Amino acid sequence: MSVVYALATPPAKSAICVFRVTGKGCHKSLNNFFGSRCFEPNVFNVVFFSGLDGVVDRVGLVVFKAPKSYTGEDSFEVYAHGGLAVMSNISKAFRGFGFEEAVGGEFTKRAFLNNKISLNEAEAVSDLIDCTDENGVVLSTNSLLGGLASQVSFFAGEIDGIRVRIEAEIDFSDEGESFYDVAGLLDDLKNLKNRFDLFVGGCVNKKVGSQKKNIVLIGPVNSGKSSVFNRLVGFDRAIVSNTPGTTRDMIESELFFESSVFSIFDTAGVRDAEDDVEKAGIQYSLSQANDSDLVIGVFEESDQGVFDYFKGLCEHNRFISIQNKVDINKPIKGVFDCYVSAKTGAGFDVLKGVIGNCFQSGLKLEKYDFLIRDRHEALFNKSVSDIELAVAGLLDNKPLELVAEDLKSARSNLDEVVGVKYSDSLLGDIFSSFCIGK
Amino acid sequence: MDKFDVVVVGGGHAGVEAAHSVFRMGLSCALVTLNIKNIGQMSCNPAIGGLGKSHIVREIGAMGGIMPIATDMSGIQYRTLNTRKGDAVQALRVQCDRDLYKKAIQKILKKTTIEVFDEEVMDIIIEKNLVKGVVTKTKTIKGAKTILTTGTFLNGKMYTGDIVSTGGRSGDPSSIPLSKKLYKLSLPMGRLKTGTPARIKLSSINIHKMEEQPGEKPTPWMSTYQKPKKHQKQISCFITRTNKKTHEIIKQSTHLSAMYSGNITGIGPRYCPSIEDKINRFKEKNSHQIFIEPEGINKDLVYPNGISTSLPKNIQTEFIQSIKGLENSEITDFGYAVEYDFVDPRSIKPTLELKTLKNFYLAGQINGTTGYEEAAAQGLIAGVNAAASILNKKELILERSEAYIGVLIDDLTNHGITEPYRMFTSRAEHRLLLSQNNAEQRLLKKAYKVGLVDKKRYNNFNEQEEEYKRFVNDILKKTKTKNFINNKKQKIKLSENKNIYKLLKRNDVDKHKLFKTNKTNKKHYKRAITETKYHGYIEKQLREVKKTKKQNNKKIPTTTNYSNISGLSNEVKERLNKNKPRTIGSAARMEGVTPAAVNLILIQLKKEELLKQKT
Repeated sequence: MSVVYALATPPAKSAICVFRVTGKGCHKSLNNFFGSRCFEPNVFNVVFFSGLDGVVDRVGLVVFKAPKSYTGEDSFEVYAHGGLAVMSNISKAFRGFGFEEAVGGEFTKRAFLNNKISLNEAEAVSDLIDCTDENGVVLSTNSLLGGLASQVSFFAGEIDGIRVRIEAEIDFSDEGESFYDVAGLLDDLKNLKNRFDLFVGGCVNKKVGSQKKNIVLIGPVNSGKSSVFNRLVGFDRAIVSNTPGTTRDMIESELFFESSVFSIFDTAGVRDAEDDVEKAGIQYSLSQANDSDLVIGVFEESDQGVFDYFKGLCEHNRFISIQNKVDINKPIKGVFDCYVSAKTGAGFDVLKGVIGNCFQSGLKLEKYDFLIRDRHEALFNKSVSDIELAVAGLLDNKPLELVAEDLKSARSNLDEVVGVKYSDSLLGDIFSSFCIGK
Repeated sequence: MDKFDVVVVGGGHAGVEAAHSVFRMGLSCALVTLNIKNIGQMSCNPAIGGLGKSHIVREIGAMGGIMPIATDMSGIQYRTLNTRKGDAVQALRVQCDRDLYKKAIQKILKKTTIEVFDEEVMDIIIEKNLVKGVVTKTKTIKGAKTILTTGTFLNGKMYTGDIVSTGGRSGDPSSIPLSKKLYKLSLPMGRLKTGTPARIKLSSINIHKMEEQPGEKPTPWMSTYQKPKKHQKQISCFITRTNKKTHEIIKQSTHLSAMYSGNITGIGPRYCPSIEDKINRFKEKNSHQIFIEPEGINKDLVYPNGISTSLPKNIQTEFIQSIKGLENSEITDFGYAVEYDFVDPRSIKPTLELKTLKNFYLAGQINGTTGYEEAAAQGLIAGVNAAASILNKKELILERSEAYIGVLIDDLTNHGITEPYRMFTSRAEHRLLLSQNNAEQRLLKKAYKVGLVDKKRYNNFNEQEEEYKRFVNDILKKTKTKNFINNKKQKIKLSENKNIYKLLKRNDVDKHKLFKTNKTNKKHYKRAITETKYHGYIEKQLREVKKTKKQNNKKIPTTTNYSNISGLSNEVKERLNKNKPRTIGSAARMEGVTPAAVNLILIQLKKEELLKQKT
């Protein structure tokens, strides 16, 4: 099997990021990236990683020799600093060396096929692979790709249409028919290229904005939202004090949970503030609550009026309520979804579970979300450049079978999203579009 | 009782190629046919080659087969198609003298030890699921292997209007006892149909009203080895077209066509529609091309290619006489549709041996193909594998990436067919690797190793290859120049001296002006141009081949139930359950299948394997 790589850590700014590379022959690349090919297996080495334009980062490297690796193949793992630029450069370097970006579940699949994991474990493997729903649409929690499939299949159809004309011209040139005029075909191709290019560009822009799910903490003043926030995030990100109204601006942090990334926002507590700055903060908190995926109401005590007020703020969002400070107050059973103490950490396991459940439909496949998107972006771009090649080829009087080859490649880059075009079905399209045959 | 290593039933293109490959492998062979005079008969149009097909003929030639030689012994017009495109999709088409072709085949067979029996096969000898030969009306012919190549003769029915007759070809009866025997074997069968046009006297048509299509000059050859000393007399084809009146006549009588009567259940080829089909399906077209092919040098007969039909005889006369140049046509034989049974080719192995009956091979149209070339290719493969099995040699199975024959047999045995199967270049995913001009480079060594080609030819081939290498290394790579003429006839000056081979890679260079060839290196230079032009693409295709080879050959058990695989779309599940692909490779080529779906299938297979080990 070919060499593939994947980013194993979440694709966000973090302390370190981990890349995994696997596949027969992948050790041949060590010299290229790390300046040496002799690394003792299973030992942590500290080395420099060189990419296309020189050194990228000082990294940790562990080399695994088949069959003693996760996948059962020759593999290695790279531990780099978790900046986005580093990730993107390492990714580029791998691609430049001919490695392919792994599709979701690829590593586990290989592990399974190489007898590294049991049948029971394997039951879950299929779930990791990009699945399609009953209508053949690629399922992805990623709202982007859900709608993408139908769009991409439209472009695939257009490429097929052009291939029909070109393949007919190759296989049936002695029929006394003309299957296209070059000018018309060129127009169609250029047109297709431009629209596809715009579309891919649009996808890339969307990607940036729609990466993470938002969670917003709201509640009355001094209910301990910032403490809950800090607990969830894991370090003192928000300033906590006993003075009501401490948090005036929105504070955002990332929450990694079950390998998913959430943006979690701490907001100013709501009260009749006199301070203008605080007023603006409260206003913003309320509007933010409306745009979020999940709202967590943090309360200290049960006051039906206050509770209803906050719940009423987020009619259109999922809302869960928690009672904080259960270390000093008695939990009021049956009123809240969760009972926690930000001070002691009690109840946070349950809270995380509840948050997880809220996104469960989205959690399962989201694991490789970034990779899928990045991978598809690369494939679509490849497809666009194949179409460009075809256009250039036609203008350049390149032999038609080579233009056909470029278009075949353009189409096959979309296979992953819309499925293969079977040669016999292409022939079928030729026969239904043109009157062919003696 | 007669005893042979291999018994071949049928003397068509598959049968003769099968028998001859057995002979080349050094074994004894019997060829049993209904009518000895019809051995090597071209029963459809008198032409060999064309797109995807000349590729097959050259592959047959590269493995020592006889089709290309017989073609050259009878060829009366040669044309290379797609000359404005590149090497991989150029194809030679040869019009043959129908009688001379038959004679050529029979002459070639006479020079062998193949024993021909002019007999009708009545029965197949089967003992304990092993086939041991055949019984004819007069004798028993035993063979360690039996190859059946009975073409359209299985339950053949011919239709013209409302007249139905039995037979596999005009003038030849169908083989009823043998058919009955095969039905008793309860093989999976299906029904196909194909059609043929009327035949017209050459003397009755006015060729001056038509467009003449002369052959190519200088006349090329189909065979690359042991070709005849000189060509037959070369003659022209002619082109005419149907017109509004023709279409009117056909439209009004379509209901009388056998094909529209509802009597025919067989599936016809989409690429070979009858004229009534063309007119009804493509209403906006008011004219269709007709290719008038001469039947022979001294023969007063033409084959009007493009108007196959099963309309009643009087309508055939009427519409043919409405066509320019055919006004006074004298029709000798009328067109008909023929319907016949075939055996689902998924029941045979890639060696063409039947899965359920040992020592029994099927080749040619019986497997649902159409075309002389496709039949001959299967004959050769069945013959060599039957012989190899007797000789305890490794079977000969060609990959999709090394031969059109590989594509053909892989498609047949894995996908089965939905219509009479014909080769097209677009069926080959590695089309650029498979040129009609590199068949020897792809196959000759393999053919030599198995024993299809003799030492002399192999050495000869190796010498040529060496000569080519020397030409590239010693001449092209060492001849340097500082200027060249580009495609726009401008002289371009380079900053430094560059060798010819490097310059060939440039797109803008006028290759014909770059290097002066002589008689001996002309073909080598042509080859170098092709190889450099395709270079990047070929590298890419080779990488693909290598990457997927192992996975593609992985077998899928026929018991696999795709409904159990979660994550596959219903549409894909249905298609997989219906077609039951035999390998991962063929599943991956199916419509709508994604790489993720292939992964899911792989995992399912592994799960089933593990479960089996557990129990």
